[in-house]
This record gives sequence, C-alpha cells and structure tokens, in this order.
Amino acid sequence: MNSLWMGLLVGSAVVAFFTGNAGTMVDSILGGAAGAVALMIELTGIYCLWMGMEKIADESGLVNDLAKFLGPLLRPLFPFLRDHPQPLSAIAASIISNVLGLSSGTPLGLKAMKEMKNLMPPDEDEAIDPMITLIVINAAGFCIFPSSVVALRAALGSANPSIVAGPTAIAGLVATAAGLAVDVALRRGRRK
Amino acid sequence: MKAIELLGVYVFPLIIVAIPLYGWVRGVRVYEAFIRGAEEGLRLVFDTLPYLVAIFVALSCFRSSGAMSLLSRCLETVLTPLGFPPDVVPLLITRPISGSGALAITAEIMRARGPDSPVGILASILQGSTDTTFYVITLYLGSAGIKRGRHALVACLAGDLAGFCAGYLVWRVMFR
Repeated sequence: MNSLWMGLLVGSAVVAFFTGNAGTMVDSILGGAAGAVALMIELTGIYCLWMGMEKIADESGLVNDLAKFLGPLLRPLFPFLRDHPQPLSAIAASIISNVLGLSSGTPLGLKAMKEMKNLMPPDEDEAIDPMITLIVINAAGFCIFPSSVVALRAALGSANPSIVAGPTAIAGLVATAAGLAVDVALRRGRRK
Repeated sequence: MKAIELLGVYVFPLIIVAIPLYGWVRGVRVYEAFIRGAEEGLRLVFDTLPYLVAIFVALSCFRSSGAMSLLSRCLETVLTPLGFPPDVVPLLITRPISGSGALAITAEIMRARGPDSPVGILASILQGSTDTTFYVITLYLGSAGIKRGRHALVACLAGDLAGFCAGYLVWRVMFR
C-alpha cells in the first residue's frame, strides 16, 4: 500500500507540473478527503443494519449452517481455514451476499477480515493468504444480476434493460477465476 | 431472466424479515442482538475511515492532475485500432478506481449514444463486470489494520483485466 500511495501522489505531481493542473488539484484533493467521510456517513446506516442482522443470524445458528453448507466449496480456496475455521462463516456470508447483489457483502467481508486479523500476531501488519483470497473474490464482485446497471438502463429508456445480465455474469466469472489464478500462483504459504 | 430479476427484487425484504423471525423462533433476544451487531458496524466504519481518506486523496490527485486522462489517451491509441470504441476507454480506467465515477461515465455514454446502442451495451457490460478494486482493497485491508497487502493489488487488477477482455469478447460476438 505504501508504494501504491506514494506512486499515485508523486506521479500525479509530476504530471501536474507539466500540464499546469496544479491549481485545480487543491480543490479536488480537499474534495476527495471530504468525499471519503461523506461516503462513510452514507454507508454507516447500511453497515449497522447488516451487522445487526448478522448478529441475529449468528446467535440463531444460521451463519454456522451457511458455513457448514458452503465449507466444502470454500475450503479448497482457503487452505488456511482448515486449521482456523472461525472466519469461514463470515467469509461464506459475505461472498453469498455479493453474488446475490446485497449490500451486506462489504460489512460481512470486513467482519471476516477482522476475524482473520485476530488469528495473527497483534503487531503483524502484513496480509495473510486467506485475506487476499477474500479480497480478490469480492473485488471481482461476481453477481448473478447487475441490478444497478439494469436500473440505470431502464431509467434511460432501454427497450431491454436486462439484456446485459448474461454477458456481465460471464465477464464477472472470468474476472473472479483470473484473479484467483494469480492469487494462488503468488501465495506464500501454500503448504501451511 | 425474468426469474432472476424477480429474485433481485424479493430477496432483500425477504431476508430482512426472515432472519429476525428465524432468530425469534430459536429463542434469540433479537432486538438486543441487533443492537450489539449495529454497534460493531459503527466501530467498523470508524476504524476504516482513515484508510479511506488516504486512498481518496491519492486518487483525487491522480484524476485532477491530468495523469488519468493521459493514461486514458495512451490506452486509446492502443485499443482503437483493435476495434475498441474510444468512448468507452475512460471507463476501463475509472472502473477500478471510483464506483460512482464509473457509473457516471456509463450513464453519460448511454445518454449520448442510447442504452441499446452497441457502445451503450458494452459500457453496461464493463460497468457490471467487476467491483471497484481500489475501494475494496483499501476498505478490507484497512478494517483489519493491515498496511502491507502483498499481491492483493496485482491479483485484483489481473482479475479486472481478464473481466474486461471477456466482456469485450462476448460483446463482439453477441452485439456487433
């Protein structure tokens, strides 16, 4: 993250120097900082809602059932979880939410990240393999129905808004598969 | 396709009712459990905010300095001879960086060229083919207090690239 962040800042500064865009950058940088807070405020309610739902589902045993159901499917992708099964239920719930296009995907994914972090030494700040695998799956964001795009198409007067659903799903599956392939190839603790 | 569309409409309210009902039947103190979960949600947002501010500032620089349009123009000269519509090139760069930005570009393309035009359909497909990679990585690593993401970025961007290629190929076969 360090080199990515520095790269973006320094690269932008160099380009701004040559294009003369430095003046407009000030507003945009401040806008970016404020925008991050605005976005999180907007999302706070949704996160609280889904984390509340998750807690109920957790205490009624529902999340555990889901993990048991999806475990055989997910365990080959997350070999680390054979010895540390606790985060599996949050991971399963997060991925299912994303596939169904529910806004619970992100809060549950973050919960899974926290649970995995708890399995690490407290002062360690480097991601472990299952964290990266979860990020790759959720960043590819495969979804059986792209509801926001279809809604947008309908709003703009498309005769057939959902015609893109099939191709989108194919592209999403390919993105997920390719991301996972690169992830597995670069994993360190394959035998752990 | 109709069935999947209906699923999308009904699955949300169904889940919101079904989870508490199931918990209540199983003897969970549902209201108290919900409150405890929501508190966790609040802490989650709070912990993640500094990371999000950092990446938003860097990406704002990237956009407003002209670095992004420079990259977009470079890509255009490479992709246009391959038959890729130049209008859609900015979407390729914006999609991993900004969710709202990408949606705005997609909306603009469809407004100008029509949602059912070949270009409008390609934009729709690419918009839906991946999620906002930089946002997901920042949020996920940030929530766990992780500073070094190792190969997360490389793997995610490889996924995005493969998704774009697949979306483009399907579009060429089906809609052109």
